[in-house]
Amino acid sequence: MEAVRNAFDFSDFPRLDLWVAGGVLAFLLVFPALPHSSFAMTIMIQFLMFSLYGMGWNTIGGYAGQVDLGKAQYNGIGAYTTAVMMVRWDVPFWVSMPVGMALAVGWSFIIGYPLFRLKGHYFAIATIATSLILKDVFEVWDFVGAAKGMEIPIRKNLPDFLYLQFKQDYYYYYILLALFLVGLLYLNAFRHSRLGFQLRAIKDNEDVARSLGIDAHWCKIKAYAVATAFVAVVGSFHACYNFNIEPEDVMSLDLSILIAMMALLGGAGSLWGPIIGAAILVPLKSYLGDWLGASAGLVGLNLVIYGGIIMLIAAVQPRGVWGMVEAALARRRGDHGAA
Amino acid sequence: MALLEVTEVSKEFGGLTANQDISFCLDQGEVLGLIGPNGAGKTTLFNCIAGHFPVTRGKIVFDGRDITPLKAFDVARLGLARTFQIFQASGDLKVAENVMVGAFMRTGSRRQARGRAEAWLDFLEIAETGQYMLSELPVARQKRVALATALATEPKLLLLDEVAAGLIRAEIEGMVTLLRRIHQEKGIALLLTEHVLEMVMALSHRVIVLESGRKIAEGEPQAVVKDPEVIRAYLGDHFVKRAGEASHA
Repeated sequence: MEAVRNAFDFSDFPRLDLWVAGGVLAFLLVFPALPHSSFAMTIMIQFLMFSLYGMGWNTIGGYAGQVDLGKAQYNGIGAYTTAVMMVRWDVPFWVSMPVGMALAVGWSFIIGYPLFRLKGHYFAIATIATSLILKDVFEVWDFVGAAKGMEIPIRKNLPDFLYLQFKQDYYYYYILLALFLVGLLYLNAFRHSRLGFQLRAIKDNEDVARSLGIDAHWCKIKAYAVATAFVAVVGSFHACYNFNIEPEDVMSLDLSILIAMMALLGGAGSLWGPIIGAAILVPLKSYLGDWLGASAGLVGLNLVIYGGIIMLIAAVQPRGVWGMVEAALARRRGDHGAA
Repeated sequence: MALLEVTEVSKEFGGLTANQDISFCLDQGEVLGLIGPNGAGKTTLFNCIAGHFPVTRGKIVFDGRDITPLKAFDVARLGLARTFQIFQASGDLKVAENVMVGAFMRTGSRRQARGRAEAWLDFLEIAETGQYMLSELPVARQKRVALATALATEPKLLLLDEVAAGLIRAEIEGMVTLLRRIHQEKGIALLLTEHVLEMVMALSHRVIVLESGRKIAEGEPQAVVKDPEVIRAYLGDHFVKRAGEASHA
């Protein structure tokens, strides 16, 4: 019961935040009714997907401060579970999605238990390694289509809500928006929960956290599982949305880094951070890919820009864009107080 | 009945012996001072008792349970809390939220944790600091927040590591008053290490003196400070003679 109350408790945010959030929510709700290009719709869907990725990453990377660069493997597990179950056994999305989530979370326990013995950079590197290894396995595993990947056959009667197949993108959009809102409420409860507090204590100082009865290792594993669940759900969705998945697409290192960057750029450890990060990075990434990558032939420029962003965050404001906004607001309040 | 029994505890780091065969008892509701010059092994002993370091040899029993093999978080859950010399938090948590982390050890409910945190901040006379970041407070307040956080875990025994370090005289007096209230009103036993001897003298029922990792004296505070061994450890042989002459005169 308290968890439900916590999910809807936004009282610790200033009123201005809530007005902005309400405005954004209203826009998201009516967006498909506004005139828009199909490119804009694609970007909005990607924005919601990456917001969800980033929200998940934020639990382990933001609140607990453990930089995880291996989230793509769980995206792959979610996507492949849904694709395999649909192609081979004709199982609907709403069944395969929780199965994929359970498999991914199970795998995250197996990976997380030894990995959280490592700290800092060593942990980050190890997450990259496990993700790449799993990708290599999928690339040679015939049951899941090896390097060719899998293709989900088109169903006869569209729209098909059970198998998540639609002609018009706005169906996908609204399903994703529903997931987005559920995820946001869940995270709001999460940050108010005992685990949410304990993770932030661990991020500050593990020794102090232990002296307060916190089993740091186990708490990190739990947060890692939460992050994984988010990513796996989006992975399942991705399989249905794209029809076609392959390891290079759903399990790439690029994706892992992008997921972490969403939260880091927007503001790790804050509720709005990943959403802000996705709102900035997704359009940037799409335009860069389309315009510079394809047209001007500047392949790889996006990586240069990501690198630049990471350096800027590290040097200027470790708490990301949201950290800058909060600092600016605090300064203004301070000035008013002095005047 | 002894709340804490430390029996022949030794701690070695490679070739360095930080604690050697240290034994002592602490009774229910007692205030025990642990003093000694720099490098005597006080903080190491704290870390061993609280489960942050595994001991090399020896046995530690707390509240009737052998806690020697337990990890720090398990020791804390049994009711043994501690503060740290350097208490630095927090990027993300406000003062009240920091204290809530302590309270969350005994409850899963945010409402209850908040209530208990506020009660402890109030008890330590810093209720008004709750919405600040820790780094915004002066050192004396920060120390009280650290105390509140440890107390919020509802301990039977509280280990205080240099809780007066960096405080000015008036603040030390305030801290003594507070610790006395924690002990008397809440019935919590205290084990404190301190360089500020007047604080140890004012609070402790008994005092233990460490030097170079060994226990060299134990007894009532007034008796211990006159012990030639202790004077030698702190001030050198020269002062043992002078202290002897002074007491004869």
